[in-house]
Amino acid sequence: MKLKIDLDICQGHGRCYDLAPKVFREDDRGYVELIHETVPPELEEEARKGKDNCPELAIDFVN
Amino acid sequence: MTETESVEPNPTESGGVDLMSPEAAAAPQDIYRRMHKQCPVAHSLSHGGHVITRYEDVLQSFRDHKLFSSEMALHMGLGTERPMIPQQIDPPEQTRYRKILDNQFSRKRMKVLEPIMREQAAELLRTFADQETVEFNKAFAVPFPCRVFLSLMGLPQEDLDLFLEFKDNILRSQQIEPDATKAYYLRAATGKRIYAYFDKAFDRLSEAPEEDSILCYLLTVELDGKKLTRNELLDITFLFLLAGLDTVTASIGCFVSFLAQNPNRRQELVDDPSLIPNAVEELLRWETPVMSVPRVTKRECEISGVTIPENTMVSLQCGAANLDDEEFVDGDTVRWDRKFNRHLAFGGGVHRCLGSHLARMELQIMLEELLKHMPQFSLEPGKKPVYSPGIREVQVLPLKIG
Repeated sequence: MKLKIDLDICQGHGRCYDLAPKVFREDDRGYVELIHETVPPELEEEARKGKDNCPELAIDFVN
Repeated sequence: MTETESVEPNPTESGGVDLMSPEAAAAPQDIYRRMHKQCPVAHSLSHGGHVITRYEDVLQSFRDHKLFSSEMALHMGLGTERPMIPQQIDPPEQTRYRKILDNQFSRKRMKVLEPIMREQAAELLRTFADQETVEFNKAFAVPFPCRVFLSLMGLPQEDLDLFLEFKDNILRSQQIEPDATKAYYLRAATGKRIYAYFDKAFDRLSEAPEEDSILCYLLTVELDGKKLTRNELLDITFLFLLAGLDTVTASIGCFVSFLAQNPNRRQELVDDPSLIPNAVEELLRWETPVMSVPRVTKRECEISGVTIPENTMVSLQCGAANLDDEEFVDGDTVRWDRKFNRHLAFGGGVHRCLGSHLARMELQIMLEELLKHMPQFSLEPGKKPVYSPGIREVQVLPLKIG
């Protein structure tokens, strides 16, 4: 599973890197960076948690 | 924030809802639910504009900053002489300022301050934790965020009372001066004092810098190759003062009042403190201490079938959005195990609350230290908490300890 971030939409709420710190991390301004662009199967659930808690809908899965 | 907001949930029914009454502030949840059902885009009798309550509508309005503008400094009458930066300006200007401000309030930066915040919380709690009763607002909810703020800014702790006077004169002017004209002049006069206070502070800090303080950072940071002008510095710090104190005070009061009235929920957090970060999010959703956020329309638009004209005040009712059952499964229940919680307590879009990471950390530390120092507390028998509308500060929160 691959992740896609829309940095024009991310506003630095930080929910993703708070809830899924193995998949997302923060840059110096508090905006999202991906640790894994391709999410290993054992982190899929965590990735989904981060994605589904983004208030801006800035994170998506791509097949 | 300073004006009353009454809305007519359904123009065909007699009688409306007064969202700005103390009763509504004490328990707004039922009113929000009524509005969702009867009139999700309501007419405001106070500002003449509209009140938007559906989650999807509120989120889309936050995200569309070209249509829903934040440039409304004069409408608000908060004692400012120029728009506050970056809250009351729109992109692209707003974006330039956020680029230099975001890093000062990032989660990473806030984590560095955690030990100081924890000590400040514990120090305040120790002053009353062994008493039988406490008025929690005055004893903790008011001073804690103010002390944190002073440390963060690099300002002396002795200025605490002065700061509290400043923000109350602006945000609670009508409680101090019930006459609207007098209240306006109080805000204007206080605004001048706030500018003068920070002007002097910047002079002082230019001479003798306080290491790692936000004010010193602002003195040295460059924006497009130039240092910030004194007016820019003052317009940023005015906002910090108004936005950074009352909102956290209100959140602490709302959270502690909820836990005082729901002993089982409190005990769950005492038994398992690892639930606290999630509890912070859920209480932000349920309580939404900042009930609504204002915008002004740049052109005519249609929201949930209601036409809103150009240049109209709009209240984005975050509290109502956060209870919308289209977005939140079992939204009427406070659940520490909620998996998906995209609440809008900190707003959204380009103006997402700059201090949200600071607020979250203060709230988490507050709950952890509170439940450690005084795990048992309830409302004092025969007394009731008193909420103020708009920003839901629990102005009187009488607790029985133990």
